[in-house]
Amino acid sequence: MGSRPPVRSGEARRRWRGYVYVLPAFAVYFAFAVLPALHTAYLSLFEWDGVTLGEWVGLGNYAEIFQDSILRRSVFNALVLVVFFSLVPIVLGLLSAGLLARYRRPGMGAYRFLFMLPQVVPLVAVGVTWRWLYGDDGVVNQTLRAVGLDSVARAWLGDFDAALIAVGLVGTWVLSGLCMMLFLSGVQKVEPSLYEAARIDGAGPVREFVSVTLPHLRGELAVAMTVTTVAALASFDIVYVTTNGGPGEQTTVPGLLVYRLAFSEGKVGLAAALAVVLGVLILAIVYLINRLSRDRT
Amino acid sequence: MMDRTHRVRRRIAATVCAAALVLPLAACDALTPGSATAVPGPTSVPSSTAVPDGDITLHLQFADAPLMVDALIAAFEKDHPGIDVEPQYKTFSDYVQNLKLTMTSDTAPDIAQYAVGMTDLAADGHILDLAPYREAYGWDKAIPPVSLDQLTAGQTSEATGGRALFGVPAGLSMTGIYYNKKLAAKAGIDAPPRTLDEFGKQLAAAKDADLTPLGVGALDSGGLHLWAALLNQLMPTDEYWDWVNGKKGATIENPAAVEASEDMIEWGRKGYYNESANGTAQVDSTAQFTKGDSVFLINGNWAAGQLATVMGDDVGFFPMPGEQAGSPTVASGFSVSYAVSAKTEHPEAAGAFLDFLTSPEAGQIISDNGFMPPNPDAVKKPTGVLADIAAGHRRAVADDGITTFPDFAAPAMLDRLRSGVQKLIADRVEPADYLDSLQDEWEDHHGE
Repeated sequence: MGSRPPVRSGEARRRWRGYVYVLPAFAVYFAFAVLPALHTAYLSLFEWDGVTLGEWVGLGNYAEIFQDSILRRSVFNALVLVVFFSLVPIVLGLLSAGLLARYRRPGMGAYRFLFMLPQVVPLVAVGVTWRWLYGDDGVVNQTLRAVGLDSVARAWLGDFDAALIAVGLVGTWVLSGLCMMLFLSGVQKVEPSLYEAARIDGAGPVREFVSVTLPHLRGELAVAMTVTTVAALASFDIVYVTTNGGPGEQTTVPGLLVYRLAFSEGKVGLAAALAVVLGVLILAIVYLINRLSRDRT
Repeated sequence: MMDRTHRVRRRIAATVCAAALVLPLAACDALTPGSATAVPGPTSVPSSTAVPDGDITLHLQFADAPLMVDALIAAFEKDHPGIDVEPQYKTFSDYVQNLKLTMTSDTAPDIAQYAVGMTDLAADGHILDLAPYREAYGWDKAIPPVSLDQLTAGQTSEATGGRALFGVPAGLSMTGIYYNKKLAAKAGIDAPPRTLDEFGKQLAAAKDADLTPLGVGALDSGGLHLWAALLNQLMPTDEYWDWVNGKKGATIENPAAVEASEDMIEWGRKGYYNESANGTAQVDSTAQFTKGDSVFLINGNWAAGQLATVMGDDVGFFPMPGEQAGSPTVASGFSVSYAVSAKTEHPEAAGAFLDFLTSPEAGQIISDNGFMPPNPDAVKKPTGVLADIAAGHRRAVADDGITTFPDFAAPAMLDRLRSGVQKLIADRVEPADYLDSLQDEWEDHHGE
């Protein structure tokens, strides 16, 4: 909002015409994204097993959700995953972008491609592969034993203390590539003359990173934070395939609970309520990230 | 100023729009979830066994043993040229997860493999009560009663007044303990244990011989099988049935279940399990067992084919022994069974197919595919570990000791059991708290 010039009626009509072009896409989006979301919210007000007549319970499902200890545990787990899915990949991405910004060499495309690879593999395949890697005789344990760390070797996904971290590291592996790719492409937009100027002014690598690289990556940083945080909070596939929430409830995340409640436990209303809460939580966090990154500009 | 009125106006418009969208939704009765799935038709099959003439196509949806099903269908179609059976295979998890949607849809298959969710479907009239056929075809004679009892969903039949029946078994399963004969000999174990106590001593002997005593794949359901096997020996079978069937007042919070849970913790403390039991899937624990990684292994008869192929005569099987040498044999087991949809247009043809499953010819096909036929007397005697299993199963059937898996107690029970047993193995939960979580789930499903 702000200093918009006054609009004359002809212009206004032309502006409205723009919406007509958007209408088909909007209709499709409305039918396949907005309506189902509204339907989910509607279902969350019922106690329904998926088959028989549902019973109106109002906000009862929401009350149940906030009393559930497994659910609280799952939200905690999701927040831990934010560290591994978001924080660590962003730090790694920034580091790599910082290193490559100073000494630009040909072959950046190939480099980007390499780190982008994990993004292209379906997450279910990633999960299955990592389950093997983490297994009793998997590569991770073989490596540890080979370097004499026999006492550290364990079935990572079955260990109460290690499972969540092990699952988190899979996410780190997947999302680091995305962050690096984003930041590298951001760095490439920076005028080389800026680096030259900085160097002439006597800036070292750290100073250069802070004063030149980082400010130019603000947009990419916001995107990376949004995408990775959503990936952490809405995580499902990696957890489902590797541990299915176990051992105990050590790696149970809200996404997994939504799936279980709806499809194997026949508590569709409760699942819908949980999905709504999760959706609202994610929207709130994304809003916050965008708000913060905009304020800094 | 201008800006603010704009913003307010826009907000009002958005609210009105949202209300306009949601209100008609809430007002419309037809939108109440589940209102479209009520079944008006019959809830029971007719009592006639006559199959009408003419070409009939039956759709059969299933999740287990595709080779066995193909062979059964081929043999059935030879006997009944007028009936064409179209199999639709789904992987087990797909099948179970979509079962309710499939069976309540307009395109429900005529025949469907029985699974956990069938109890609810039967209660709602989506599955036909087969009790009239049981009388007309005489299935009580062809199939051991214990196998049929698992398929009654704890209901009485409206049609006959006796026990209801919602499925016919084709191939039975049972869990128990496999042992590696060579490793057992190395540990000084020369015969299967006769009592639970003796089994504990054999586990200790294996540990003393520096071997891994018991392979458990607790990442998925392997740990649950072990807990259920112990429970089977300690808890009176009647009380267990009451609990699984959701009988009013039944409870798992009893001393026997506490003892079974304590035993599991104790065995973990003593290092009887493979070190990474909680991180090992059941199939992986089986593969490790074939490589000689443990002396014993908990699993079901479905693994027998694989074990017999890889290990030959080096592998044996026994059902978990009871507290005394003469105790009845009790083991968890279920069947690959088939139910009939209430939407079928050919209940007589479906009945003919189900009846074929109880025949000696079908029994041989079932046996050849590694499952136990409902009527074992009608087939050739198996050899090796398959013979051990058949003998164990016969004893359990004779003792009325085949109990369903504990997750049949409620749809959400599998998750509670799996995570709870993982905690028992890792010594991270008190038995009382674990059982309390199970009972909570039970009460949630069966009402107070």
